Amino acid sequence: MKTITLYNTLPAVFAEREPVPSQVWRCEVSFERGRYYLVSAESGTGKSSLCSYLYGYRRDYEGVMRFDERDLRSLAVEQWCYVRKHELAYLPQDMKLFAELTALENVELKNQLTAHKTRREIEDFFERLDIADKLHCPVAKLSIGQQQRVALIRALCQPADFIVLDEPVSHLDEQRNHIAAAIVDEEARRMGAGVIATSVGNPLQLTYHSHLEL
Amino acid sequence: MKRLIWKLLRTHISAPQLVGFSIANLVGLFIVVLAVQFYRDVLPVFNDEESFIRKDYLVITKAVTATGAMLGGAGEFQPAEVQQLEQQPWCRKVGRFTGSEFAINATIGLGNSGKAMRSQFFFEAIPDEFIDVADADWSFDAQRRQVPVIVSRDYLSLYNFGFAATQGLPQMSEGQVSLIPLSFTLSGNGLNETLPGRIVGFSSRLNTVIVPEEFMRWANDRYGDGGTTPPQRLIVEVSKPGDIAIEDYMTTHHYDVAGDKMNASKANYFLTLIITIVIAVGVVISLLSFFVLMLSIFLLLQKNTRKLRDLLLLGYSPRQVSQPYMWLVLAINGAVLLVALALMLVARLYYLPMLSAMGGGGASVWPAVLVGVVIMAVITAGNLLAIGRKVRSLWIS
Repeated sequence: MKTITLYNTLPAVFAEREPVPSQVWRCEVSFERGRYYLVSAESGTGKSSLCSYLYGYRRDYEGVMRFDERDLRSLAVEQWCYVRKHELAYLPQDMKLFAELTALENVELKNQLTAHKTRREIEDFFERLDIADKLHCPVAKLSIGQQQRVALIRALCQPADFIVLDEPVSHLDEQRNHIAAAIVDEEARRMGAGVIATSVGNPLQLTYHSHLEL
Repeated sequence: MKRLIWKLLRTHISAPQLVGFSIANLVGLFIVVLAVQFYRDVLPVFNDEESFIRKDYLVITKAVTATGAMLGGAGEFQPAEVQQLEQQPWCRKVGRFTGSEFAINATIGLGNSGKAMRSQFFFEAIPDEFIDVADADWSFDAQRRQVPVIVSRDYLSLYNFGFAATQGLPQMSEGQVSLIPLSFTLSGNGLNETLPGRIVGFSSRLNTVIVPEEFMRWANDRYGDGGTTPPQRLIVEVSKPGDIAIEDYMTTHHYDVAGDKMNASKANYFLTLIITIVIAVGVVISLLSFFVLMLSIFLLLQKNTRKLRDLLLLGYSPRQVSQPYMWLVLAINGAVLLVALALMLVARLYYLPMLSAMGGGGASVWPAVLVGVVIMAVITAGNLLAIGRKVRSLWIS
């Protein structure tokens, strides 16, 4: 996948509202592979909606969204499964970790599907993000900031053309933000992937090619 | 991979619900397979169909009257009568019963130890073409001299329910009787020889002792005086066994048809009716239990909806996330099927001895097993289909 394009897209719930100026909604926007995008917004402007449209689990939008030439609405279940395993890495804002599994098991659950990282590489991530001691700790017992780091590691356990991060560092301090950014940057460069990160004020510290206001 | 998914999805599985379903389905399935098996086992007791002699063969005799008995010879079929019979439109073939022209003593039991029963005996033969037994079993070799016989089932009933029951002797099944040593002492023409015998089978339609025609010719030549008597009975192959014309003809000529099974066929009808009702009850129970399992699984899927959705978001396919539940259903249903079949086989052991004394019980278990497998396959397919559809419906939130 080389580009993600939005043509005149708008969440269905916004259709009846007064149009607000936006660089994404009701515009033609393209995200290119290999480039980093920051989508910043105030809460309630449809940032997570955008991510869920891109990841195929909501369709309540107007307009057209495309992966290259493929209309998102036309993708079958099997094609979405492929996209989620090989083309789009995604860190949801609510992380969607399984509370009853340990941190490592949560990551394994994804990595078993893609066989993308070795156990050694996964443990390295845990170490760099300073949660090595939480490997075997049930996620329910982790703080939100720790969970955010586990979810980031899980998101990176797959090949991707785009890495979509929905407020990935909202609960991390400055220093850990930089570490997370460095890891995302390394992975994205290695795969030639694009990054689409959203933020409500605490963006992931990457050098972005483009900054869009939602 | 399976381990982690199972760890996630097994929560909320309700053991009492699954046990409830299993018991209900077990009861239903057990009733169905046992009813089918019992019906097949008990059928030969009522049915006059047997392997030796086909349904469209009639055995006819002349009605015995007081005057006929005094005058003698009245029970015999004269050649003219046989010829007339052969000319009837519904008659395909007529076979004559040949009697033995010599004295026979039968010894049943262990001859050497003295525990044996001896009795005067008689033989009859009919043309081999009317007998449906493998050639190897139904032949006589003048060198080996073993005599195969087919005995009336009534003789065995007479022994089991009349004699054995009152004299404190064991009841015997057909299989057991066939294993008891049997020999015949034939005398005539100055000869007195003992030949081993073998019971090939029992017949409820041939009310006599039948030996191969080949043996009868050989024995009559050897021990008999060379004279021939006209047959006392005839075996007739008819085109339509239920034809009213046959009945009319028999009545006007005062012929009796042996083995009239009117009562048996009524009993047979009620047996079929009752078994059908029992099977229907079993099927209804199975069907209800099917819905119990569906409800239980739907509840389970409902409770685990969030997890299932999150797994789908990770890239797991609907098939992959429904698999643990499908295996669960397969395992439960498979176990229920096996237990139901095992219970059926055990229950069968309890009624078989009684039935085999009455001439039933030999039926194969495979049809009942097949019925069980088919019912379970239908239930399982319904379950799996429902799970698949339910999980796919979670795809879009």
